[in-house]
Amino acid sequence: MDEQDVSKLASPSATRGDDASDAVTGSGPVPRVLPAVLSSPALRLAGRRLLTAVPIILGVSILTFLVIELIPGSAAQQLLGPEATPEQIQQLEAEMGLDRPPVERYLDWLSAAVQGDLGRSLVSRQPVTDVLGDRLAVSGEIVGLAFLVSLGFAIPLALVAARWPNRLVDRVSMVVSTTGLSLANYVFALLLVLLFAVQLAWFPAIGFVPLSESVSANLHSVTLPAFAIAFPLFCFYTRFLRGDLVEQMQGEDYIMTARAKGLGPWQVLLRHAFRNSAFGLITIVGLNLSALIGATVIIEQIFSLPGIGQLLLQAINTRDFIVVQACVIVFAIITVLASLLTDVLYAVLDPRIRYGSN
Amino acid sequence: MSAVERRPAWTEERSDEGRPGTGRAAQRRPAESDTLLEVDNLHVRFERGGVRVHAVNGLTYRLRAGRTLAIVGESGSGKTVSSRALMGLLPPYATVTGSARIDGVELVGISEEEMRRHRGTDIAMVFQDPTRSLNPTMRIGTQITEAIRAHTRGDPAAAKRRALELLSLVRIADPHRRFHEYPHQLSGGMRQRVMIAIALASDPKVLIADEATTALDVTTQAQIMDLLAELRSRLGTAIILISHDLGLAASYADDVIVMYAGRAVEYAPTRILFAQVRMPYTRALLDAIPRLERMSHALLPVTPGQPPDLMALPAGCAFEPRCARAKPECRTSRPPLVEHAVGHWWACWNPCKDGEPL
Amino acid sequence: MAVTEAPAPSVLVDDESTPVRSRAWRRRLEIGVPAGLIVLIFGACFVLPLVAPIPKPIGGDILESGLPAFSPGHILGTDPNGNDILARILYGGRSSLVVALSVNVLGLVVGGGLGALSAHLGGIVDSIIMRVLDVFIAFPSLVLTLAVAQSLGPSQRNTILALAFFSIPAFARISRAATLRLREQPFMVAARLSGTSTWRILVRHLAPNIGPQLMTFAMLGMGIVMVIEGALSFLGLGIPAPAPSWGNMIAMGQLSLSATPMLVVWPSLALFLTVIGFNQLGEALRGRWSGR
Repeated sequence: MDEQDVSKLASPSATRGDDASDAVTGSGPVPRVLPAVLSSPALRLAGRRLLTAVPIILGVSILTFLVIELIPGSAAQQLLGPEATPEQIQQLEAEMGLDRPPVERYLDWLSAAVQGDLGRSLVSRQPVTDVLGDRLAVSGEIVGLAFLVSLGFAIPLALVAARWPNRLVDRVSMVVSTTGLSLANYVFALLLVLLFAVQLAWFPAIGFVPLSESVSANLHSVTLPAFAIAFPLFCFYTRFLRGDLVEQMQGEDYIMTARAKGLGPWQVLLRHAFRNSAFGLITIVGLNLSALIGATVIIEQIFSLPGIGQLLLQAINTRDFIVVQACVIVFAIITVLASLLTDVLYAVLDPRIRYGSN
Repeated sequence: MSAVERRPAWTEERSDEGRPGTGRAAQRRPAESDTLLEVDNLHVRFERGGVRVHAVNGLTYRLRAGRTLAIVGESGSGKTVSSRALMGLLPPYATVTGSARIDGVELVGISEEEMRRHRGTDIAMVFQDPTRSLNPTMRIGTQITEAIRAHTRGDPAAAKRRALELLSLVRIADPHRRFHEYPHQLSGGMRQRVMIAIALASDPKVLIADEATTALDVTTQAQIMDLLAELRSRLGTAIILISHDLGLAASYADDVIVMYAGRAVEYAPTRILFAQVRMPYTRALLDAIPRLERMSHALLPVTPGQPPDLMALPAGCAFEPRCARAKPECRTSRPPLVEHAVGHWWACWNPCKDGEPL
Repeated sequence: MAVTEAPAPSVLVDDESTPVRSRAWRRRLEIGVPAGLIVLIFGACFVLPLVAPIPKPIGGDILESGLPAFSPGHILGTDPNGNDILARILYGGRSSLVVALSVNVLGLVVGGGLGALSAHLGGIVDSIIMRVLDVFIAFPSLVLTLAVAQSLGPSQRNTILALAFFSIPAFARISRAATLRLREQPFMVAARLSGTSTWRILVRHLAPNIGPQLMTFAMLGMGIVMVIEGALSFLGLGIPAPAPSWGNMIAMGQLSLSATPMLVVWPSLALFLTVIGFNQLGEALRGRWSGR
């Protein structure tokens, strides 16, 4: 979805509402007998999207399976090392069940997965689900923090920039966020390490301390990676929000109405412009989620964090396709759910969709 | 909630129960035929990218309390810009000079903060497109109470009561239900009524209707105009009607100003203007209105030429190039706006005479 | 693409007091400066080693390792293996640029064509292609490229293939959306109704109209691909050592970050400048083409 599509979604112009409500309401009037919840267009949208999500996730699992099949060499080969004889490999493969036809293996995996059993790691023999939970928690914490930090800085900055457009704060923040987007996140991460870990020694360069051990140490170990992920997000959000706010303040009629009421500039900015920009922001945050998955892989590698990204990387290196499959499915589910949640949230919050037209 | 019957505001002292004006000294409503708004030699200049546009060039008029003044002109005549100047709603690259005094208080050149105090309380505006002038994601009720609370300290319940009063005042049926609805759930005519309610929220002395009915169909147009007339007699608000529609002016205005190239070229009470039109431009406008008594298939008399370039205004009369009555001195010197007859002002060296064709 | 695409602020930081003529100059600078930077970088990476005495990027003398900047014969110094850093940056840039160009050309041609064709044909074909594209896009792209890169073994050619895997669907999506938008324009309807062949419609009518949009996307895509290729090489799955790539140079530099930070800084700077050049050029072109 390119940026034009996003801004079209985000702008509160009347035409957009018509398209959306057409897409959602569709059929005729709903009988008043049903409780409001069931007839809520938001819920129907959610249901419809869930239905389309399933084949997508299935498709993803098949694709992953195919890709892994293409990888020469099997887990057995990896485990035994380069010295192994073909007979040894074959024997281990038979033990691991790797000699059966691919379709059979896939269907086995699928039937188990649907019941919640994602199999056992080929390397460690542990159930994947055990490991996944912990790993997800770590990655989740870092990503969550990154979102908080990025939004926490981007929103106030964009508001100030939009309040005084083309002045100092606006220009500086635009320059910073534009150049910031050209900075690779791993480069930024290493620069952070160079400055804060090596030179100033304020934060650790690698390592992770779990929450259970110590909250402060945990936050300490997680700060640099969270900021590394947050920075590109911050740049993106600042640019988008500032643009959207200024576009409204300079172009939309309801802003003129608000000023004509005698409202002060901050009131107009916050109560009218920002309120509407929030929609676009939600959409963008949802879209970002899938990009973040790539970010976790490399950031966790740099900072040696036991997250799901690192798990995936290791699994790929050791040909542990059960784990790879599980990780990829988790990522796909997260991506699809995020996009679904965004759409539903939009439908719930946008009054034009929620109430349809009379 | 009892039916609200608002007595003409100038016949009573304001009480202090959360009505607008709480916290301020009770206002004296100007008696009828007091001069309420004095505009003298108003100039508005836009300067951007090295290009300078003179949108308003020496506009002068008087508005008396309880009267309806129509400002008529074609696009680019400066009618909208001059009104926006009164409310300080022009973009930052506009420069306003001259004088505009409401109830003796100067509006030109004051700070934004001072201007805000006048918006809504002294002057209010109703804009052209009610669809775009209302925030689509905010409930109607909120948008009205926002206007109320911009100038009144009071509890939300009082503001809500006042908002419901206003909705009844503008003749919206079922105000309680509409209060909670969103703009897209209302028809165009209803939305414009809401805009009027918002404009009246803080009891302005002057209401500017800027092409307020242009975007509506003819029937709704008549309804809204009748509403405005009714409100004027009930509340004593003076109304400025901005329009390109002479017919509208004829039906609803007490006085008419005709603007051309940023200046007033003729100014008189309605009946006198239409009966004894002097300015050739006004005459041309009147002649262009299709009339039943004309022969069918006759060509409408069209004034040749284009309105002048506002970036390079001529030294003489701006209408001269297109005027059928032009004399040599019209090109060299600009005729001033002079009260040639009682209550009838015009700016022309060679005005039309009664009964004469153009 | 999975990576966040930079949005252009719709109201550019426009100086209202600049006269009209200097605004035209500003436009020229907006395009010219990044374009010049790109040309400079390309020149440095492809042409300079041919004309200037730049040492080889691999096979350095271990005795010359760890030399600081401004050493004789090594302007930027040498790395722990004795290789000249400047040479590695220039040759590394060569590989990275080749990868980025190939991926984007593939994306533009194959993806763009596929998307346009799909939208043009409509119906079942379009639905199927859309579903397949959806799967690719839902697939965490970096994961896919990792898996493909791993499975095929790290090499420049395989990196291109792996990255094309998500570049093509991304272009296809953009192209499809643009084509759909264009489809209902009167001139397109007229072309269809008058029996113009599909091929002709695609080439003569469609391409010139969605071309600018795709080109802009390709510019931004150059930056994105360079960053991801860097990431792949950083993880050891891209261009394999000892051949230089900015990504694997950064990875190697990380190992001695505290002792020799410049080993990370130089390739990072090169990457940053290149990406910013492409991004700014893409933005300027987008501004120019949508302003028309």
